Amino acid sequence: MPAFVLVVGILYYCIGETGYLSTLDWDGTSPTPTSVGLGNYEQILQDPIFWQAIWHTVIFFIVTFTAQTAIGFVFAALLHSKVKLGTLYKVIVFTPVVIAPATMAPVFRQMFAADGQLNWTLDHIGLGFLSQPWLAQSSTAMPVIMFITVWNFTGLTFVLYYAAMGQIDPETLEAARTDGASNIRTLVSIVWPGVRGTTVALGMLSVIGALKTFDVPYLVTIGGPNYATEFLGTYIYRISIPSAHVGYGAALSIMLLILALVGAIAVAVRANRKDSETGV
Amino acid sequence: MFEARRLPAKLILQLIVTLMIVPYLFPLIVMVQGSLAGEGVGNYRAVFEVGAIGTFFKSSVIISASTILIVYVLTMLAAFGFSKLHIRRKEIYFWMILAALTLPEVVLLTPLFATTLALGVYDTYWAVVLPLAALQIPFTVLIARRFVDGVPDALFDAARIDGAGTFTAFRYIVLPMTRPIAAAIVVLTLIGSWNAYLLPLVLIQDPAQQTVTLLPQFFVSQFSNDQTKVLASAVITAIPEIVAYLCLQGLFERGLSAGAIK
Amino acid sequence: MLGSSRVSKRRPLGAVAALMVVGLTLAGCAGGAPAQNADQGSADSGNITWWGWTPDATPAEAYIKAFNKVYPNIKVTFKKLTIDGYDAAIRPALASSVGPDVFAVAPGAANGSVDIYGVNAVDLKPAVEKTLGADWESKLAPIGVSSLMNGDKLAALSVGSVFSGTIWVNKDLFDKYGLTPPKTYDEWKKVCETFKANNVGCFVQGAAQTAFNEDTLQAITDNVAPGVWEKALKGEVPWTDPAIVQALTIWKKLFDDGIMQEGALGMQQYPDANNGFMSGKYAMVMMGTWYMQYSTIEGNTAAISGAGVADPKPFTQLPIPFPDVAGTGNVGALYGDADFGLAVNQKSKNIAAATTFATWLGTSAEGQQVVADVLNDIPALITTQPNWDTVKLVNPEVQRPALEKLISDSGKSTEPRLATVVADLQTAIGVASTTVAAGEATPEQAAATLQASAAKIK
Repeated sequence: MPAFVLVVGILYYCIGETGYLSTLDWDGTSPTPTSVGLGNYEQILQDPIFWQAIWHTVIFFIVTFTAQTAIGFVFAALLHSKVKLGTLYKVIVFTPVVIAPATMAPVFRQMFAADGQLNWTLDHIGLGFLSQPWLAQSSTAMPVIMFITVWNFTGLTFVLYYAAMGQIDPETLEAARTDGASNIRTLVSIVWPGVRGTTVALGMLSVIGALKTFDVPYLVTIGGPNYATEFLGTYIYRISIPSAHVGYGAALSIMLLILALVGAIAVAVRANRKDSETGV
Repeated sequence: MFEARRLPAKLILQLIVTLMIVPYLFPLIVMVQGSLAGEGVGNYRAVFEVGAIGTFFKSSVIISASTILIVYVLTMLAAFGFSKLHIRRKEIYFWMILAALTLPEVVLLTPLFATTLALGVYDTYWAVVLPLAALQIPFTVLIARRFVDGVPDALFDAARIDGAGTFTAFRYIVLPMTRPIAAAIVVLTLIGSWNAYLLPLVLIQDPAQQTVTLLPQFFVSQFSNDQTKVLASAVITAIPEIVAYLCLQGLFERGLSAGAIK
Repeated sequence: MLGSSRVSKRRPLGAVAALMVVGLTLAGCAGGAPAQNADQGSADSGNITWWGWTPDATPAEAYIKAFNKVYPNIKVTFKKLTIDGYDAAIRPALASSVGPDVFAVAPGAANGSVDIYGVNAVDLKPAVEKTLGADWESKLAPIGVSSLMNGDKLAALSVGSVFSGTIWVNKDLFDKYGLTPPKTYDEWKKVCETFKANNVGCFVQGAAQTAFNEDTLQAITDNVAPGVWEKALKGEVPWTDPAIVQALTIWKKLFDDGIMQEGALGMQQYPDANNGFMSGKYAMVMMGTWYMQYSTIEGNTAAISGAGVADPKPFTQLPIPFPDVAGTGNVGALYGDADFGLAVNQKSKNIAAATTFATWLGTSAEGQQVVADVLNDIPALITTQPNWDTVKLVNPEVQRPALEKLISDSGKSTEPRLATVVADLQTAIGVASTTVAAGEATPEQAAATLQASAAKIK
């Protein structure tokens, strides 16, 4: 399979190389890297920022995946329902996907600033007591990063669910309705199981995506304030590029790879077990 | 999916969609507003006056189209293979492809540089197209495989009884029935390749082959940052993608309702 | 159609992929010690490429144009990369045989660190000796030379330097409310209260971008006790030194007393704080000599427009010394480094032509005059001054003396800014600045943590 060879050819070479680098104490250019064996991995396990990043990643995954899936699914269902101005809604949900996070980062910083548009709006709809410097506080910076991520990726979830729903047999739906099933019921017992393949795929993607999260926290908050929004992705970048601890960064990348695989396999296994339970 | 026959129900549906869309719309408004701040439409004019914009668009179109073609063909074949063909240890291969998804682009840069040089494709479109395709394929295969899984096996059995070979089955069953997901794959690959920034920046040197993602950098420098024009560039860059999405969506939906399947 | 494309695509790709695997094995990975290309090429003709994150396209064009007047047969192509993307791009490029001929490096740990990429550079000492003579060191600004050495090698030629330590004020806003720029902490606090009462922001700092917090902390420490910061950077005094603890205490007070804008920890210096100052929302900002370029009518108008203001009207901006916040009278400290230097790639096939370009821009009178007139960098060649007849300031009467003083004071300074700071230490200082500001650590605790991190760096 050419796809297989292409992917394996390019990417596995990189994994191999990263694996080798991860055993070095190297700045990336000096001609004399020192080999430290598994020393980098030992150091990772004792690194508080690493654990903090993992913890953030877990919460981040749970929240963003749930929100994206729920919103994307409902949008797809609603827009398959002959709503007026459907195209307009589709464009609005879809557009965030195509806009580079680098471009939006300053926009979001401005929006969530102490004197930004969000606080302004809150003040004007009588919710002024809620206004605060969102990105300057450790407690609110993370939810903002989550919001931006959901905003960014719901379009993707939507496009895929929208496609998947096109595969559901209209006759099944019609039959259910004839039997008097309500809208919500149809949605829960026919449509939702019908797009399960997509949900599982999205779940696996989200696990991997959450572990790789880089753009949004790096560009919007630089992992701050005080590491409140540090993720594995931003940490790897900070360590390997500006700080030039190439070996340690490579070891972190390998950890990420392992975690991502374990996470994705966990999702897949759970899905398979459920498949066999329900006999789908 | 929802069926609302009576007017109040229709209104409620419409209201729900509208309420849900507000958080999505809000940042977009702020963005467009930002792109019109300062010199107003002048920002857009300034972006067009960069001069190289035609070249940029041409490069981006070439890169995106090539990537889409490669990704589409390979993904469909791979998804079909993984889903319907009996290949030994296919699950292992599948997971090996998936593992590739986990690597951050930054990590790949150095090995890619070496690879493109060794192949002699450095500073050509291939240097960007091949890695882009390789980075997209795991993702699209994952999505497409689930979709092909949804095509009933009975159809293939029927086709086989009629004497159709594997390729015929692929051509006349898989391709038509996967149209909706094909639209999604094409759109997602387009986004991935159109928005690629780091790879073209590093792997293509020739200024005549640079891509649209480099537009904003004309307005950002070490000690200045003309945010209004950066946003204007972003709007200009995004529009072709949105148009492409709408066209594809329309095209593939029409294909569906025209009864290409069932 | 799909069938045919499948057939035609499949073979070549399979072949390409197979080739790739072979290529990969051959290419190897780690970049060994770079060897200098023996063939230097011609010194006054050829095509050279130049990579950098700075300057902008326009000044770069001006440099190249002026250069081509002297050397019409050397074609220079400038490729501007982003600050964030520079390291990612230059690292593999220098390891390859097709990297740029000339590339930008900077002192310290920021992007394009000379400590890292200097190994790939040609020693430019012989070339400078040839153009400036044996006493070349006395003709160049000392900070530009010392901060761009890589071991004994002059890895790059400084094009100019930047200094920090000043606050820039919007004089029009101060005049409007009958205020004078603050000289002490109490005056500063009072100024801010007046501005606030009139719904104008006072001082703005993008405290999320911690590199700029270092500037402010260094200014405060220099005010508390001159020289302590520099010594701490060199490891000669611990970060727990009372002067630094006091500086962190004052830094925290800036937040508590409303001098620092609300939400400072969520803002970045660029573009947020910069746009805030340029749009007239804030009256003061901590920026260095690179801000001189916004004193011209053209530079100021463009910056205001870039900050999103319709119909921009230029305002008078002035540099002032950092206020005497500790009440010691030690004011006016300036600290800086070479902004960027041009290095010549050892693997270049046009070393001679590339060297010609680098030495021309960094050491020739014509080259340095172009640099000076852009008002971005303090020129590396000591004798060069901006040509004030061609530079159109917004308010020449007050601005020209202030700028002249800033340029001459900077030329005398030997205090480094980021040059000796490695990335891990920068991170640690950043952490100290934000934890104290957020109230998550006392100044004493933060200084102790900082010292502990600094002690680990070798």
